[in-house]
Amino acid sequence: MKWLWHKVRVLFATRFAEMAEYRAEIVIWMLSGTLSIVMMLVWMAQAQSRPDGTVNGYAPAEFATYFISTWFVAQLLVVWVAWELDIEIRQGLLSPKLLRPMDPMWHHYASHVAERLVRILPMLALLGLMTWFSGARFSGELWVYPAVLGLSVLGFTARFLWEYTIGLLAFWTESNTSFQELVWLVYAALGGMFAPLSFYPTWVQDIARWTPFPYMLGLPAQLLAGKATSEQAWQGAGVLLVWLVIFWFLRAAVWRAGLRKYGAVGA
Amino acid sequence: MRRHLRLMRIFIGATVSAQLEYRANFLGAVLASLGEAGVALLGISLLFSQPGVQGVGGWTYREALLVTGFFMLTEGFISVFVQPNMSKIAETIRTGNMDFTLLKPVDAQFNVSTRHLNVLRFPDILIGLGLLLYASAGLTVTVGGVLTAAVLYLSALVIVYCIWLGLSTTAFWFVKTQNVSELFNGVFGAARFPVSAFPVPVRFVLTFVVPVAFITTVPAQAVTGQISAPMALASPLVALVLCLLTRLLWRKAVASYTSASS
Repeated sequence: MKWLWHKVRVLFATRFAEMAEYRAEIVIWMLSGTLSIVMMLVWMAQAQSRPDGTVNGYAPAEFATYFISTWFVAQLLVVWVAWELDIEIRQGLLSPKLLRPMDPMWHHYASHVAERLVRILPMLALLGLMTWFSGARFSGELWVYPAVLGLSVLGFTARFLWEYTIGLLAFWTESNTSFQELVWLVYAALGGMFAPLSFYPTWVQDIARWTPFPYMLGLPAQLLAGKATSEQAWQGAGVLLVWLVIFWFLRAAVWRAGLRKYGAVGA
Repeated sequence: MRRHLRLMRIFIGATVSAQLEYRANFLGAVLASLGEAGVALLGISLLFSQPGVQGVGGWTYREALLVTGFFMLTEGFISVFVQPNMSKIAETIRTGNMDFTLLKPVDAQFNVSTRHLNVLRFPDILIGLGLLLYASAGLTVTVGGVLTAAVLYLSALVIVYCIWLGLSTTAFWFVKTQNVSELFNGVFGAARFPVSAFPVPVRFVLTFVVPVAFITTVPAQAVTGQISAPMALASPLVALVLCLLTRLLWRKAVASYTSASS
């Protein structure tokens, strides 16, 4: 047990040191994720132009709260592992990593978690700034915040695993990053980055219910906006957990199949 | 001029034949194009599918689709012509290969801007044109409007090229600028909606600070004939000013270039 703890600590400390090197880039990457903000501004203007000042029961301030929350959660869920695997597999950089007595996945996972720590301070500063400008109001109930954190951890891990699986497709195809772009579209759409899920046609909502996406973006945002109940939070956590297990086994299967293929080329 | 055209033909031939080697990549590029189109269309469709919504910022659905069409077209232009070249500038500076470019008896800015091409993203351009045709089929469009739009869109492309070149030129000083494209895309994402769909202060920023409005909204306005004379004149003017500024910046950057080893 102590041995495992030591391993985790060293892995994490080295990844953190590496990510701290990239702090300027991390801020730039953060600033480039503007889709939520663009949608927020458009919906706010749209609500303001209506005679009653709301669209579907959302006033401008409520749109602000919802979209700033999706922005924040989406920032916590950022995963770039598919892109890295693409390079590692095609250039053979994976080979030395296979010699280590640890699945290379943990290496990447630790990098992502460490990056969150570097990201969190500028994120909070931007959050404060945007809240101030837009008049967003977040939920006053304290249980909401640990719930959002928990859902974000589950959501991030699920997303990490599916992105990892897509990244592993590099064993077979050269265009895995475009698959990743398509999956991102589904994630952003069903997650509720364009609008709260209740704005979608009902048949889309019915499909979305069975996917992990609404529970990783939309649900935490609704919790922060004070528009979701604790029951919904538990239910969402349950669905995410089921998907996490599915992605876990999927990744393991693709990894094993991919390694056989990788060895076969003689790389 | 003829020499430059001939060079461009050679450059294009070389990159196209290099890229068509990897046919599997084509599928991936098509998927990526569809993804881009999906993001652009989804946002606009959701806005208009809300009960009681007639228009967004004074634009009807078809008119707003024009903006989306220009947006896709510009994304295509960027991925086919601009990004493949600009992303290489930083790399050639870091590795010292810029030396060879500067030594060649062609204008260096022309060389770095036209050398590469990503033909695989050509579907983006087709999707953009398709959207434009579909949108204008439901609108009353005049020949004059289309011609004005074409001219204004040309200056829009010049604006895009200049902003991108300006950002990439900073690589001469900062070396690491691969993230410039990320930053540009972040701001450019706002161009998928008409500027009037944004709150007033943001509209101001998108027109005068980062001239995103001139890239998609202004040409779309020209198609529908709703453009005001000052906006129509401002667009080529902004393009011209940006051209001069980036040219100056480029000259300054090249003058301060000291190769990779020194």
